[in-house]
Amino acid sequence: MKRIVIIILFMLGNLFAQDIETLTKKVNTVIPGQSRFLLRGYAHSGLELIEGKTSFVGGSFNPIFLWQQSTKLLFEAELELELEDAKTYLALEYANMSYFLSKYLSLRLGYFLLPFGTFGERLHPRWINRMPSTPLGFGHDPVGPIRDMGVEIRGGHNLRTGKINYALYITNGPRLNDGSDPELETEEAGMLIYKNYSDNNTNKAVGGRIGLLPFSNSSLEIGISGQYAKVGDTGTRYKNTAALLSAVDVSYVRNILFFKGVLDIKGQFNRVTVDNADYYSNKDSAYYSFKNISGSYYMQASFRPAYVYNAFFKNIEFVGRYSSLSFPGNALWNSEQTQWAAGINYWLDWRTVLKIAYQVTERKNNTDKTASENNAVFIHWAFGF
Amino acid sequence: MNFYKNRNVYAFLSILLFVASFFVIESCSSKKLVAEKPGALLWGENCIRCHNAPSPSAFSDVQWETIAMHMKVRANLPEDDIIKIVEFLKMAN
Repeated sequence: MKRIVIIILFMLGNLFAQDIETLTKKVNTVIPGQSRFLLRGYAHSGLELIEGKTSFVGGSFNPIFLWQQSTKLLFEAELELELEDAKTYLALEYANMSYFLSKYLSLRLGYFLLPFGTFGERLHPRWINRMPSTPLGFGHDPVGPIRDMGVEIRGGHNLRTGKINYALYITNGPRLNDGSDPELETEEAGMLIYKNYSDNNTNKAVGGRIGLLPFSNSSLEIGISGQYAKVGDTGTRYKNTAALLSAVDVSYVRNILFFKGVLDIKGQFNRVTVDNADYYSNKDSAYYSFKNISGSYYMQASFRPAYVYNAFFKNIEFVGRYSSLSFPGNALWNSEQTQWAAGINYWLDWRTVLKIAYQVTERKNNTDKTASENNAVFIHWAFGF
Repeated sequence: MNFYKNRNVYAFLSILLFVASFFVIESCSSKKLVAEKPGALLWGENCIRCHNAPSPSAFSDVQWETIAMHMKVRANLPEDDIIKIVEFLKMAN
């Protein structure tokens, strides 16, 4: 009898051992290793009514690749695929590697979004930007850099009842359009070109940002950014021409329980000062100079009654934005622009939004003494994934 | 014309006015030590600074770890906060 019990136990044990071994093998196939890959991103599309023309726009698709090599190493890259004028454009938004040196400091190498204010680095993705368009001076012909190649250290630290975050970088820096490059607009001499992938001189740009969140609930963040670089081509009369760029950003986001909603206020003020220099005018066959200071800013406020009971109204968001752009008054590329925009968003979920906005842009040009007004209606959807 | 000349000054003063009003509003609220805050509270306070707070079920536990690293770099979030937020998201998932 005893022998039979031992034989049965041995058989059962063998059976369970086999089951456990099979189960372990199955579990091991799905347990992630140290290397982890994640595909995220966003896309947008819509309908635009601008100056009497109505068109569906293809928008763009931005896949973001995250590769976690270990608990200390992260690679991230973003592509932008955009359909424009029946052509598909492919652009690299950023591609960089981060190494976490300590709790408070990480090292970033490669091509990255610059911590010059917050719009370019944090708020520009279509599903994050509350408006269908970018503010003046923060999209095409930007006043201030958005991305560059180089090296950066950055981090954040908790204070007693607040927080501080910091970033310091060295990059190629912008390049001065001195009017001699046939591939650039000669009328735009004095303007900074931020796509300086093969540096035009031996000088490197040094810049950084400090952000302070003085309140315990992290509702308010005030940031100050700066960058300094020589921007002229080596071996030219502009070799010592330098540019000082600065920005102030503010963000206030708070649950306003009395109004059963979330108030979100954002703003950024950019200023670019380039040393005075003489530029050659083909039109007048003479050198001319001007005070080379450009500026742009935006203020935006949005309110979403997220805590009302009505399932429809809790997903509605009201948003308004004012932005301004000014290029040097005596430059051939001078321009004064202001823009008002107001819109209503409907959030289908936390990262999918339908945006409807009306926008009025006024432009003034001192050279030909012209002024124009441009009205636009945008109906966009944006999708984060 | 004067508005165009002085608009940068107006903009800067507007920002100062906004910031000053935030200080007045926030000085009336409680001042809990950041280090004592639980992950759920940090999740609500930090994510919403840029975008809507994500649902814990939007990603798997493993995916949250990679996203946390991405957010630590992008938003300069302190590591102590990130650890607590990920713990909360995994627990609520």
